[in-house]
Amino acid sequence: MSFALPARQVTFGRPNASAVQYQQQQQQQHGLASTYPYQPTNGLALPGPSPLSNPYPQPQPQQQPLQPTVSLSQSPPPTTVPVAGPSTSTAPPVPSTPVPLTLEQQHITAVEGIVPTLQNIVATVNLDCRLDLKTIALHARNAEYNPKRFAAVIMRIRDPKTTALIFASGKMVVTGAKSEDDSRLASRKYARIVQKLGFDAKFSEFKIQNIVGSCDVKFPIRLEGLAYSHGQFSSYEPEVATRFMLLLFFWLTFYKLFPGLIYRMIKPKVVLLIFVSGKIVLTGAKVREEIYTAFNTIYTVLCEFRKP
Amino acid sequence: MASAYYEFYRGSSIGMALTDSLDELITSGAITPQLAMKVLQQFDKSLADTMVKQVKAKTTLKGHLKTYRLCDDVWTFIVKQASFKMEQNEVITTPRIKIIACKNGDAIEAGKK
Repeated sequence: MSFALPARQVTFGRPNASAVQYQQQQQQQHGLASTYPYQPTNGLALPGPSPLSNPYPQPQPQQQPLQPTVSLSQSPPPTTVPVAGPSTSTAPPVPSTPVPLTLEQQHITAVEGIVPTLQNIVATVNLDCRLDLKTIALHARNAEYNPKRFAAVIMRIRDPKTTALIFASGKMVVTGAKSEDDSRLASRKYARIVQKLGFDAKFSEFKIQNIVGSCDVKFPIRLEGLAYSHGQFSSYEPEVATRFMLLLFFWLTFYKLFPGLIYRMIKPKVVLLIFVSGKIVLTGAKVREEIYTAFNTIYTVLCEFRKP
Repeated sequence: MASAYYEFYRGSSIGMALTDSLDELITSGAITPQLAMKVLQQFDKSLADTMVKQVKAKTTLKGHLKTYRLCDDVWTFIVKQASFKMEQNEVITTPRIKIIACKNGDAIEAGKK
């Protein structure tokens, strides 16, 4: 079974995926199959479907569960399957309350052919070994160590282009990778460099801590409208409403300092920076799917607040 | 504090010449090795001060930074395909150059504060 994923290849059976992650993904897959098609539930006008522009065909509901070894290939099945994407006037009567979709209910898809690009991945690794940072700084290439400023060696490699902060405790932070695989590969390379300098470094507890994505919806957005209306839309959930009112308040106050709107999505827990230009930055995700889900969720909202 | 100065200028042509001369003087018995050491220390200090205060020549460097390192306040750069543009618009190129950059006397003092 295979279905195309947006832009870069996602290997669900990634070697680094822990059993738990994998299980989640499995659930997600099953969720996808069972809850398809996507039902917009947040009472917003939705843009029309665009089968032509959507390179991301849906999986068939009757598909087999994913095998652990199956990597999702780039070859799309025939695009006769209904395309996910914002639905048209055929959308069912919308309930007035926005029911937050669970991650399982949503699927990763490209709305209007727009797929967020991953810009940065931050991961941590435990090398499980005390390190003498001065030895590392003296013998490794492209290393900086200035203990007066920062208690870690800052090291860079060119491929994958990343930066690592290496601490004496053996903990390491690797930033700058553009994909999960790159992040893991880079982390392994740093661990290898440290090993070659004579330390008994292991490669343990690799964990992706943050994923940042960005994209452009290619239309300008009325941020003030978004801030106002979203306060109303979430009035059934007082906590959320308060959040949005605060959001509105802060945005109106600090608009000049930061011309974007900070949108803290609760499910998935992703922070979005939305700009008038239609450029979006998504951050705070632990898995790439959260970025995609958050974007799909916000896209329907943004269409509502398209600048005329 | 005599040890506040780096000794790397001793490896320059002028430093080598001085060291050779001092060696000769020591072997001929004209000066003691202690005096020679004192002279070299003064050389380190004088050269560092002179570089800061009197040398005004500038050059711009372009190239591909292959490797860098910062450790103990010393930067090391290995630059490939480096081209130096001197003040008289004279350009000197080299396939590889290693640059070692240290803080001068004043900066060391500033760093301690």
